[in-house]
Amino acid sequence: MATDFNNSEISSPSHPRWRKVAYGGMQPGFDDNHTDDSFLEDLVMNASVVKRDLLKVMQDSVSISQYLCIVALVGLVWTYTLQSILSENSLLLLDVSLLGSGFIVLLLTKEMLSLNLLFHYILNVSFFTTGLYVLAPIYHTLTRSISSDSIWAVTVSLIVLHLFLHDYSGSTIRAPGALKSPNLTSCVSLNASVVASVFIASRLPSRLHVFAIMLFSLQVFLFAPFVTYCIKKYSFHFHLVFSFGLMVVTLAFVYMLHELLFVLLLAIIIFVSVVCPYWLIKIQEYKFEINGPWDEAKLCFDITD
Amino acid sequence: MAYQKHRILMVSDFFYPNFGGVESHIYYLSQCLLKLGHKVVVMTHAYGNRSGVRYMTGGLKVYYVPWRPFLMQNTLPTFYGTLPIIRTILIREKISLVHGHQAFSTLCHEALMHARTMGYKVVFTDHSLYGFADVGSIHMNKVLQFTLADVSQAICVSHTSKENTVLRSGVPPEKVFVIPNAVDTAMFKPGPERPRGNEIVIVVISRLVYRKGADLLVEVIPEVCHLFPNVRFIVGGDGPKRVRLEEMREKHSLQDRVEMLGAVPHARVRSVLISGHIFLNSSLTEAFCIAILEAASCGLLTVSTRVGGVPEVLPDDMIVLAEPDPGDMVQAIKKAISLLPKIDPQIMHERMKKLYNWHDVAKRTEIVYDRALKCPNQNFLERVSRYLSCGAWAGKLFCLVMIIDFLLWRLVQLLQPTEDIEEVPEFTVSNHQDREMFLNSSEVQSSR
Repeated sequence: MATDFNNSEISSPSHPRWRKVAYGGMQPGFDDNHTDDSFLEDLVMNASVVKRDLLKVMQDSVSISQYLCIVALVGLVWTYTLQSILSENSLLLLDVSLLGSGFIVLLLTKEMLSLNLLFHYILNVSFFTTGLYVLAPIYHTLTRSISSDSIWAVTVSLIVLHLFLHDYSGSTIRAPGALKSPNLTSCVSLNASVVASVFIASRLPSRLHVFAIMLFSLQVFLFAPFVTYCIKKYSFHFHLVFSFGLMVVTLAFVYMLHELLFVLLLAIIIFVSVVCPYWLIKIQEYKFEINGPWDEAKLCFDITD
Repeated sequence: MAYQKHRILMVSDFFYPNFGGVESHIYYLSQCLLKLGHKVVVMTHAYGNRSGVRYMTGGLKVYYVPWRPFLMQNTLPTFYGTLPIIRTILIREKISLVHGHQAFSTLCHEALMHARTMGYKVVFTDHSLYGFADVGSIHMNKVLQFTLADVSQAICVSHTSKENTVLRSGVPPEKVFVIPNAVDTAMFKPGPERPRGNEIVIVVISRLVYRKGADLLVEVIPEVCHLFPNVRFIVGGDGPKRVRLEEMREKHSLQDRVEMLGAVPHARVRSVLISGHIFLNSSLTEAFCIAILEAASCGLLTVSTRVGGVPEVLPDDMIVLAEPDPGDMVQAIKKAISLLPKIDPQIMHERMKKLYNWHDVAKRTEIVYDRALKCPNQNFLERVSRYLSCGAWAGKLFCLVMIIDFLLWRLVQLLQPTEDIEEVPEFTVSNHQDREMFLNSSEVQSSR
């Protein structure tokens, strides 16, 4: 019925052209399922695909390897303390020197060197240290009743979780007045690392040990990403040099601890900074992105709620 | 060819007492199909204590299945939970064709799947647009692919929507029909006379949410008020962005020039529309936009963002389009204000009467039903192979879902043989109701 009608219409010489409109009922001469030549002509494919450069991706991946090394160093310090190679006094010395060097880096890389900000930081850190000192006995006994096997297993899995969810592009702790608040995964990651340190603390011989180790771990987990972020922002070359130095030091220390662990760490670093970037570039060619008039329009201004 | 009477089951999670584009589409389409002599039954989930079987205007039978919605009026996806009741309804009502509506209605997807398993012909109408980038869209697109893999014919409400659906689901474009929505022009008549005076009133009626471009309004309204001292805004609608609009009103001290009405019940939409001259639609995505039709039918000049299917909806001289950008929209409003003296609401209304008509929509849908029924019957194995081609993993998953559905259907058949299900007695509501009565009752229905 409908097709007959159409044929007679099409054969007539003056049949109107099909238009991409919805009004006016069925278009004479065309069925509702008519697919015009203009069908999908507004389709845009892979409009926003960025061509990535292998070297650039590799350089960017250095941040990840660097943080891996930092976490490996924390693990080393934990191991040495548990084996009583590091005494509580040397640990405290390590804490203080880390704190000092951290502050120096912050002061050097900040554009504005303000006494006020420095005072603000020092005040916060002293509050933090006092609180930690008061709470050290609690950390010491909090998870003591749990068997050591469970402690190791949970700690390792928490650290792995921490590494997986860590926000490598920025830092969870932000400078005062930062615009964006940290997202959920980076908060989960930070908490996982803190819980891991609490677990480890229960296997230590004395309260001073607990205090020193907790201070050390928290310093590293909380502030190391911030410090490295500041370095990276200050100078990318310095960031690269610092990262390579850190990697060499870490690898050396790990080698002294255990050869197998050294191989493992080296393999991970190579995987992260060579294999993964290559892989990323490789899978780019499978990228298939479609845009068209059906996409939700993007607003060209910021919404400040 | 003998004129074939269909027995249609409309399925969607969205139906009266809910209100929106899909709901009114199903309602008006059903009414017009009933008038054409077909039998129409609607199936939806229970709304509050509105559960069981109800009759609406013109003898439209509605099954409110006692299945609770869990998110945005959607039922919980159970895959097979609805099989027994859908089978019973299909057999009881001697249905010949199932018509599902809206891509994110789970009830619709389940019903279409069961209907296909039982060998019914199915038609699906897609009322929305989806992107391809975010996780939600990717998931929805897979679900749509599953349903459309085996659907007899599909309908979209605009050509843009058709392109979108074809891309999302990979169905051949010739299986997809474009049948737009319409508007009940008798319900949306222009006021007896236009609001007089020097003042120009711009009406906005939409939910105040991000997708409807409420943030654009926040930028556009103060700018327009600044440029034209004789312009006043009436904003109808409620939503999370209402606070931002109210803040904007305070900030620019426009309390006497921007009136916020809050949610406007559908029955009152016309009275709000006829108090204005220009209708402003700021949606960021829209498959069709019935609101524009309602405004145009009331004789308002429309200013809208150029998104989705909106450019197809009205002839160029009845609408001013703008990019979804505050500056461009202000320009468009400027243009609309300059066009305003040439607009006669009555003429516009008469044009709308010719352009959109639900009876026309029903007749075109009828053709789709005829086509669907002419599709060859397929056995189960042929259908399974179609699902298998839907993707490496998804295809196998779809097949598994279908095979289980088939087995369950056989089980239900054993437990409750078809002969045991009582068929409903035939009775016909007089088809010769005059148009007035139909309109009156639909107005009563919507004002409830």
